[in-house]
Amino acid sequence: MFMTFALITLLGALGMLLQKNIIVAGLFMVATFFGVAGLFLLLANPVAAALQIIVYSGAIMVLVLFVIMMLNSHEEEKAETSRPVQRWVSVALVLALAFGAVKLVLSSAGVKALDLRGAAMPQAMTLQKVGTTLFADHLLGFEVAGLLLLAAMIGAVALTKRNL
Amino acid sequence: MGVVVKKVELSWLDRTYVWPVAKGMAITFRHFIKQLFTPTSKRYTIQYPDMKKEMPDGYRGLHELKRFEDGAIKCVACFMCQEACPARCISIEAEEFSDLNITQGFEEKRPAKFSIDMLRCIYCGMCEEACPKDAIWLRKDYEVAAYDRLSMNYGKWELMNTYAEADGKERISQDNTPSVPRRTIAL
Amino acid sequence: MDKLASLLHMTPAIFWMVAKVVIVFSAVMLLASVWTWVERRGSAMIQDRIGPNRAKLFNRWPILGLSQLLADGIKFFFKEDLVPTDANKKLFWLAPFLAFVPALIGFAVIPFGKDFVSGGITYHLSVLDPGNGMGLLYPLAIGGVAVYGVLVAAWSSNNKWSILGGMRASAAMVSYEIGMSLAVLTIFMTTGGYDPAEVISAQGGALWHVLPNWNIFHQPLGFIVFFTCMFAETNRLPFDFAEGESEIVAGFNTEYGSMKFSLLALAEYSHLMTASALVATLYFGGWQVPFMPDPPVMLSILSFLVKMLFFAWVFVWIRWTVPRFRYDQLMRLGWKAMLPMSMFNLVFHAWRMSQGH
Repeated sequence: MFMTFALITLLGALGMLLQKNIIVAGLFMVATFFGVAGLFLLLANPVAAALQIIVYSGAIMVLVLFVIMMLNSHEEEKAETSRPVQRWVSVALVLALAFGAVKLVLSSAGVKALDLRGAAMPQAMTLQKVGTTLFADHLLGFEVAGLLLLAAMIGAVALTKRNL
Repeated sequence: MGVVVKKVELSWLDRTYVWPVAKGMAITFRHFIKQLFTPTSKRYTIQYPDMKKEMPDGYRGLHELKRFEDGAIKCVACFMCQEACPARCISIEAEEFSDLNITQGFEEKRPAKFSIDMLRCIYCGMCEEACPKDAIWLRKDYEVAAYDRLSMNYGKWELMNTYAEADGKERISQDNTPSVPRRTIAL
Repeated sequence: MDKLASLLHMTPAIFWMVAKVVIVFSAVMLLASVWTWVERRGSAMIQDRIGPNRAKLFNRWPILGLSQLLADGIKFFFKEDLVPTDANKKLFWLAPFLAFVPALIGFAVIPFGKDFVSGGITYHLSVLDPGNGMGLLYPLAIGGVAVYGVLVAAWSSNNKWSILGGMRASAAMVSYEIGMSLAVLTIFMTTGGYDPAEVISAQGGALWHVLPNWNIFHQPLGFIVFFTCMFAETNRLPFDFAEGESEIVAGFNTEYGSMKFSLLALAEYSHLMTASALVATLYFGGWQVPFMPDPPVMLSILSFLVKMLFFAWVFVWIRWTVPRFRYDQLMRLGWKAMLPMSMFNLVFHAWRMSQGH
């Protein structure tokens, strides 16, 4: 199961990067979101999976595709003249980062603890638990995020509407 | 000149939108129930091949060449209808015939061939108007169709028998000799 | 049941699962295709017409025109399968499935009858057993994904009408999803759980001894918002902006023909079935029978079916009553009426709960 979802995620991401057509790339991204939702399910967190699909696939990607269609940018802009040095440097950088991330995860305390105890099935997440966590343990962070979003919303309205 | 459009002031009940929708649904439901419990024969829709519409008087449908009671054709081949026809769909060939039994040596006229091309006919009724003998009628049959063009060219015998079944008359396929001289019959 | 399972070399649990999947989805598909007939006959009756009644099974039995379904199916199968030259072929093929599958699988969490115990095992009458953690978030998620069918169909046809339809559909769906989610959220809040089984069992009993204890009597405003949003979600008149026959030809399915079109049409009706099942579950007590605390299983299934089909009929009924909105009216209704109403509903019930109701 894990392999299936991981493959869906990875292939979706790869397809998104390699696809010339911007709308097809967007659809690949949706596939990636579904893969990630599946991974959440495997982590016994169906709420996160559902929210992932509702928010990302159901709302954000629809809006992104909507905007793409509206701007009607079917033709890909001409690729700028390739700079081999830049490309190789970026590949090397990505590889180094990935290697570092894997190393970090493997040497972290959590993984070592898992090694000792064996993977215990975590308790399934429910909406109630999400709510209590948000409103009891992380209230400040939640409110700050809300304020930030409000500010962003007001900014967007102010920027787009010339005469209020 | 502009037209002043009066803006309809909606009541608050109408502006909720829910109440007007409910009213509309009541109307459609009434129609639904009414139609559901109306027997098929009384509905507005006429189930065509099974039911046929009774055409109004004065309808101009398929032609009939009228006959006398003894079966002789009323037409005297005067060519009036052929002349009157704006679509030029009537073609007549006349012949003379003598009825030796009654009036010796007296010869009368009748069509040997009488054909109407139903594909060209426009059902205007001019032939009916022109006919001095009331020998051609446009009646209420409107099912004039065929699988090929040739059979849409109605000949004399077809035209004489178009309403035979509807009137309960015999189909005839040969010229009956009139029992009395035609000119003595008052029309 | 156990004997049947052992005959097929399966454990009863797996057999039950497979049976549920097969029965539920084929039932929804069957109902969806029957509903095309209901739509046509019903609209005909509403407009004082007769509707399709001439197709005959084996050239003999007209059965009220129901055999029209078979005739249509056969016709669709044998029609030419046309793909426009400039269309994106793969996406053009994919789109009907993207529309059909979410419309169908949204039904999976909805319990269509009371649980029963046989041989020491509890059998749940819903494809996904209660307590799966997704609960009613699942149909919401699937409903949000359903727009991709329309969107992909619209875009891949490479037709201006189609793209207009797809864009309208996506904008409408996104804006109405918010109002709908808030309405559903209020139900989660008052129920204290988001599993459909909990939502239904909370609606048992009677209210003031005269009414069944259904959510509709607690939250009529929420019901109106949810039901209206369901019209936008299923893309049906008065909100059928994806199709808009009189303005944008046929919208997203302009270029579709033969079996692909029939899949798109079937998707619409499956979506309708899922939507009406959701309405029945959320606001009308699901399988609860009024004034009967512990109904027999068969009666509970019947009760659910009656409620669901009634709402499916209301979808048809409203479609042939109300004229279509203009696009800006739709947006205004969505943002300026539905969203504040559902917000008010949410805050009002939060206040009531804080008062100890």
